[in-house]
Amino acid sequence: MSLKSYIALFLFVLLGFAGVWRLQKCIDAQQSAVANEDDQVMLRSSKLVKGLSLEYAPLVADIYWTRVVQYFGNKQAGKQLDLRLLWPLLDVTSVLDPHLMPVYDFGSTFLSDAPPRGAGRPDLAVELIERGLRANPDEWRLYYDLGFVYYFDMKDYAKASEALYEGSKNPKALIWMKTMAAKIAAEGNSPETSNFLWQDVYNTTKDALVKQNALRHLQLLRAEEDLKQIDALADEYQKRFGRRPVRMRELVQSGLLRGEPVDGLGYPYILSEDGKAELNLKTPLRDKWIKAPASK
Amino acid sequence: MTRVGTVALNTFREAVRDRVLYNLVFFALVMMAAAILVGQISVNIEQIVIVTLGLSAISIIGLLISLFIGVGLVSKEIDKRTLYALLAKPLRRWEFILGKFAGLSLTLAVNTVAMSAGLFLALFYVKHSIERADTAVLVAVYFILLKLALVVALAMLFSCFTTPLLAILFTAGLYIAGLFVHEMRNMQPNTIDPALGGFLRGISYVLPNFENFDVMGAAAHGRVISGMLIAQNTVYAALYCAIVLAVAMAIFSQRNLK
Repeated sequence: MSLKSYIALFLFVLLGFAGVWRLQKCIDAQQSAVANEDDQVMLRSSKLVKGLSLEYAPLVADIYWTRVVQYFGNKQAGKQLDLRLLWPLLDVTSVLDPHLMPVYDFGSTFLSDAPPRGAGRPDLAVELIERGLRANPDEWRLYYDLGFVYYFDMKDYAKASEALYEGSKNPKALIWMKTMAAKIAAEGNSPETSNFLWQDVYNTTKDALVKQNALRHLQLLRAEEDLKQIDALADEYQKRFGRRPVRMRELVQSGLLRGEPVDGLGYPYILSEDGKAELNLKTPLRDKWIKAPASK
Repeated sequence: MTRVGTVALNTFREAVRDRVLYNLVFFALVMMAAAILVGQISVNIEQIVIVTLGLSAISIIGLLISLFIGVGLVSKEIDKRTLYALLAKPLRRWEFILGKFAGLSLTLAVNTVAMSAGLFLALFYVKHSIERADTAVLVAVYFILLKLALVVALAMLFSCFTTPLLAILFTAGLYIAGLFVHEMRNMQPNTIDPALGGFLRGISYVLPNFENFDVMGAAAHGRVISGMLIAQNTVYAALYCAIVLAVAMAIFSQRNLK
């Protein structure tokens, strides 16, 4: 082949791939119209998938696990609330490889957490963790996950205490689990306990998504406490001046606050028209905020 | 072009002589068994089972043929020394490659059309009718054919410079990688190292995207597949095959056959 032929071939390949790239963009747009989210998990029977995987079930589990993370990541990026495929994906993954521990850690957090933070299915999270415990009875961490779901999402403090106590029997378990089991049994829900549990998740998890989620919860817990205090100051203001404040500045000018308070991300809190403290409309925490009683 | 056509026709004849089309008997048996059994063991999803099973069988059988025969198209001619007799005739090397590709593509087309007929017969047996929505199945079959042409081109490319075993491994590897292109491209920054994510996104546009041809879900549920997508996938497969075959021809032209 002559030099000219080589150059021609090189140019053809280069232009060809440029065409492929351009074409792919158009195909992606067309495909999104044809694709249906349900096609992502056509086989939902975990037993069938395991049978079809032959002796490569652990490898297929790894692939499914990657899909779980990407599915959740895509949903988070698109701010989509519908996580209905999370359970089938986790179900298949955990049956294919029941010893894949991140599945339980991740599943207990995002299956149980209430929308918009998770799928809002604590019952399925409990089922997943109990499956994990049957396969890995020595994993004290699973009892911790179970206690977590009972405490935050099911508000069943007796069962939460029981799970933490059961896990604390393992010699490798965290030293505070027994104490926490007793505290929850005695007090039920408390901001200190919630804060402590989320702080521990933040400190110990290796999963970036779980860590990020724990940080958000810690920031939300702090914000909820701040909002309660601001409401108490607004009540005090009402007693003094006969009306509720509608701007944070009024609380500052009255001397009840030293400055305008901000949330964990630096956004100032606001007061609603009826004088109730709220998160700033621009803070990213607002997406995860569930107005109502302080919880997970 | 007559010379390319002659090579293509002879490749097709050779495949028929080698009893490649006997796989149709296997396919017919699978579809007959499925059509009879599916009504007994599934409720309300008989059509979906027949379509997904049929399309999967067409795809798997086609892939096996295109991979194993595609890899042997060049190497077998060299091993049997029949290539020397061919190249002594007024036949250029690039014409030989193009003819072989066209011949195996023709074999696959005949095979796929026959299997599709079997699939529609099974579908008719289960549904007692063929509806307009079933054209999506035809489109899915066409997309499988495009995919197979791409696999043949890749198998031929690798067989031009390496052993048949390695060529099979490379082609199968690229095929599997090509099924995960979408995942590579859509890795979320919060789940992966940004540099690795960028690298994966970059190569995802160079790898053959076999996911483009996967419309099995849409076909099984009778969803409409747009004419634009059909046209774009056709151009995509043609362009990609042209690139791969151009490189294969260049390599084969330079190969020392002594």
